[in-house]
Amino acid sequence: MNETIDQGDLRTPPGRLFRKYLYSIVALAFAALAINTGFDVWFSYREQKQLLAATQREQAASAAIQIGQFIGQIENQIRWLSRLPPELSTNEDQRLNAIRLLRLSPAIAEIAELDAQGREQVRVSRRVADRIGSKTDLSTSPAFRGANESRAYYGPVYFLGDTEPFMTLATRGTGLTPDVIVAEVNLRFIWDLVAGIRVGNTGKAYVVDRMGILIAHPDLWRALRRSDLSGHADVRAALDGVGPPSGGLVKEDLSGQRVLSTYATVPSLGWLVFVELPLTEAYAPIYASIGRSTFLLVILLACAVLVSLFLSRRMTVPIQILTQGARRIGSGDLGLRLAIKTGDELEALGDQFNRMAAHLRESYATLERKVIERTSELEKTRDQALAEHDAAERARSAAVAANETKSRFLAVVSHELRTPLNGVMGVLQLLDDGSLGEAQRRHLTTAAASGETLIALVEGILEYARLEASTETLETRDFRLDQLIETAADLMRPQAFGRGLTFDLACDATVNTSVHGDPVRLNRILLNLIGNAIKFTPRGEIGLSAAAERHDDHVLLRITVRDTGIGIAPDMHERIFEDFVQADDSIARRFGGTGLGLAIARRLTRLMRGELTVASTPGTGSSFMLKVSLGLAASGTAQGADQPPSRQLRVLLVDDDPVNCEVGEAMLKRLGHPTTIATNGASAVALARDQAFDIILMDLHMPDMDGVEAASRIRKLGLPTMPRIIAVTADMSPRARERLAGAGIARIVSKPILINALREAIEDDAQNQPAAPQLAAGALIDRHFLDDQKELLGAAQIAKLHNLLEETSEKLVEDIAKAAVTGDPAQLARYAHQLGSSASVLGLVRLFEFCREIELAAVTMSPPECQSAAREIAALRKASMSALDDLLRPAEQRSVN
Amino acid sequence: MRVVASLTALPLDDELTRRSMIDSPTSRLGGLIVGLRQRGWVEGVNFRFELRSTFGAPDRLKTAVQELLALKPDVILTGSTVETAAVLEATKTVPIVFATANDPVGNGFVESLAHPGGNVTGFTNSSAEMGGKWLQLIREAVPDLARVGVLFNPETAPRGGRFFLDSIEQEAAVSGVSVVPAPVNAPADIDEAIRRFSEPPKAAMIALVDSFLVIHRQAAVAAAAKYRVPTIYPFHYFMDAGGLMSYGPTLEVRSADYVDLILRGTKAGDLPVQSPRKYELLINRTVARTLDLTLPFTLLARADEIRE
Repeated sequence: MNETIDQGDLRTPPGRLFRKYLYSIVALAFAALAINTGFDVWFSYREQKQLLAATQREQAASAAIQIGQFIGQIENQIRWLSRLPPELSTNEDQRLNAIRLLRLSPAIAEIAELDAQGREQVRVSRRVADRIGSKTDLSTSPAFRGANESRAYYGPVYFLGDTEPFMTLATRGTGLTPDVIVAEVNLRFIWDLVAGIRVGNTGKAYVVDRMGILIAHPDLWRALRRSDLSGHADVRAALDGVGPPSGGLVKEDLSGQRVLSTYATVPSLGWLVFVELPLTEAYAPIYASIGRSTFLLVILLACAVLVSLFLSRRMTVPIQILTQGARRIGSGDLGLRLAIKTGDELEALGDQFNRMAAHLRESYATLERKVIERTSELEKTRDQALAEHDAAERARSAAVAANETKSRFLAVVSHELRTPLNGVMGVLQLLDDGSLGEAQRRHLTTAAASGETLIALVEGILEYARLEASTETLETRDFRLDQLIETAADLMRPQAFGRGLTFDLACDATVNTSVHGDPVRLNRILLNLIGNAIKFTPRGEIGLSAAAERHDDHVLLRITVRDTGIGIAPDMHERIFEDFVQADDSIARRFGGTGLGLAIARRLTRLMRGELTVASTPGTGSSFMLKVSLGLAASGTAQGADQPPSRQLRVLLVDDDPVNCEVGEAMLKRLGHPTTIATNGASAVALARDQAFDIILMDLHMPDMDGVEAASRIRKLGLPTMPRIIAVTADMSPRARERLAGAGIARIVSKPILINALREAIEDDAQNQPAAPQLAAGALIDRHFLDDQKELLGAAQIAKLHNLLEETSEKLVEDIAKAAVTGDPAQLARYAHQLGSSASVLGLVRLFEFCREIELAAVTMSPPECQSAAREIAALRKASMSALDDLLRPAEQRSVN
Repeated sequence: MRVVASLTALPLDDELTRRSMIDSPTSRLGGLIVGLRQRGWVEGVNFRFELRSTFGAPDRLKTAVQELLALKPDVILTGSTVETAAVLEATKTVPIVFATANDPVGNGFVESLAHPGGNVTGFTNSSAEMGGKWLQLIREAVPDLARVGVLFNPETAPRGGRFFLDSIEQEAAVSGVSVVPAPVNAPADIDEAIRRFSEPPKAAMIALVDSFLVIHRQAAVAAAAKYRVPTIYPFHYFMDAGGLMSYGPTLEVRSADYVDLILRGTKAGDLPVQSPRKYELLINRTVARTLDLTLPFTLLARADEIRE
């Protein structure tokens, strides 16, 4: 996703750079060319215009000169006439001369010769009859006066017969009485001259007199109309003496055509000669020049575009190759080589690219090799670690097995040790019959003390072994915390006093409460700690303080046991909680003991999810802090012995140990239950057959017959009301419980018997008499599951299944036994599986689980183990089926009824 | 195709109505055709030329005018005052260019020479004071002149001949010559009218500007020769017929210019009436010798052409 976006961002639109270069170069070339051409055209235009105007001015000047010459010629002719000496000519000669002049000069329409006084002597005309010697006085005429005043007189233009422009020209002769010659000049003859002036191809020249009247024009008729042009701005300006503009004037001529106009003044006459050239012709060369320049510009632009294309391509192609190369390298294609042959920096860049790609390629190769190496190393290491782990696992399993074996050994050994010790102690007590001497009694006392110590040692070892085997479970119930602490203090105080120590008990008021927990274990911890303190305190005092913090759902108990004993070195603070460890070897020698007390205390504390810590200074004393969280009591306060039993129960106490019997009887008496005592299994069975009991308290370890056997026999008696059998044993391991359950014993009271535990066991059952079988069966059968099945299948179907299970399970148990005997574990596993699955149908969970264990473990079991397992299965099957019978019979009976 | 129409009093076989300049360099019509071609008008290509003649007969005038107008011409060229008047009477819209007119303002053709107005313009001929000039010139040729006859047709001469007679009589009074008008109304009258001046006292004649005389110029010149009457004519056509002398304006043919302008849209009334600017004196010395005339230097000096 990211990659595609990146690529999208990085991808340059094709040709953008190319177009950029192309446009830039074209624009540059265009600008240069356009500016150059523009200036060129502009200056050329100006120059041409100036040139044109100059040419036109010259033409105008030339035309003016021609017109001036035309008039000047006539003037010269009449001047010639006027300067003929008078004595050489008569009137007739004068007339002849005038006629000759008329022949010579067609423009002269009439010549008059006046004498010095202004009298007309001869008048020769083309249109009227000549007059000779008329003596008409013309001295006041402007011509005469003008001729006399200056060398020549140029009269104003006048129009004869409305259309013919004429002018009077007069000159004076020389001498004393000079004649004056007056000539009337027909200005239409200037037309020939004006029409002959070539101004370009289509241009023209025309003449305007001093008043702005058009005198001569190539279009004759215009002149004949006496056109007054003084209203035209340019003519007006010219008449006012403003010189013609140097560049010529652009205007509209008489026919409305746009022309370039200029003018010149005819010397002496003051006439204006206008020269006009149509713009179309005047600017034709300029336009042609612009056209040529534009054409050239276009050609050059085309060349510039071609060159730009070539240059842009040359510049962009290598860059595009580089871009594509970079993209391919970016996408991982490192095998690419860029081929740029421009012979410049771009080629160098391309080479650098290639080198970079090569380096990258090498780096990748190295990296890959290293990855492969590292991977194989890792695999090796992993295999090694797995092997080590397996080894460790095996070692651990071996260690665990060894530890279990050790625990079992310890349990068996200590149990086996205790029985003879009890015997020894009994014999020692029997020895003191009062007839012993002082020395004997002392020896006896010593022996008894030694025996007790030995028993304590065995007990400790036994307990520790149970803890070590994690077989110890908490037996919780409600109890008074203050009573427990005080009882422990009372128990230990004599010992302390015995050693000359003071014992200080400081209980906080908060401990006056009922809590839910395991009072036996807690008591044990306390006794251990106090006993420990007494043991290692030669003098001084023992202090015990207790406080309880009440929380929402639990009570946090803090108990501190302090002493002024020998103390513990800091490096030993943790070690003393380890198994069989004392502060040092000399201590063991001096104080004795197994070194198990603190280890047991700590293990029990941990079992209760509490903490046990120590603070100590060698030589000063030690403080052991216990912090345990206990549950809240259900309701009310268990007042223990003070509370009368809900009802009296008939109890058969079975124990081969008379002490135990006595203690037990005393306790039961105190609890308000009448008690019968049986000292061995056989008498117990006999008593149970002969008398009715509600409860049988059965010691499991008896010489003739163990408790389980006795219980089985009692069951087989088929008593009308089967008494509940409560086992009394120190062995609380799951296996032991299982074995007891197999014999129909669900309740166990641990040794040594505590009165509260005893009451609870008896009364709990008594109060829930009808539910007792159910609870017993509950351990074997998942009642909820069974109820669900009943609901699901119906009672009839369940009854049918029940019968079926009865038959098949019996058959399977036989098969299992056979398989065990023949030593066929596979067969054993298969039958175990079949039995388990059949059992699971009606919720025989215990049987089901046990079968599964056997099924899984069968292949590894030895033949004796197999036979043992087969027996156990049979027993469990029997118990489970009887429990199921109990549960289903009433229902079946009800359904039958 | 544009239509250029022309109305003349001359017969169509007259030398003056020939179109070819080669055949007749003095032909007015030939000059027009050539002038129009120079200005881009080619007969038969972009314009059509229609010529009609009255043959000098007043009764045929009206018919000819109607015929011409039926052609819907773009411009009508007229020969002389009589035809101009007739066409003007018939149309006030079709442009008219008259070839000769002595007194267009007096005749009411135009408002003024410079700005004619209306639908007509053209060219003037000899002005009124030319009568005195003719008398002066014939007197120079015939110094002992006592009386001068003035030949004209009152119907075709301007203002019935009076246009020129005033200046002739004025000059005659100055020079002591008596003026005898010799009006003719028909070609047959010409001979008799001239004959009367063959007898003493010494007489000469002036032929006025008159289309009638132009048409019958052969008869007039023949009669003058026959009766040995020195006569001055107003046009050089008479010299071609064997006349003694002529003095009049040189008819520079400019009608092509005006026809071109009118065809291109210029109003006839905007074009000024052009007057002659050149006058030419032609003398036939052979005829003079026949008449026993001695021509003075002043006359010879003035002559533009002397024919032998």
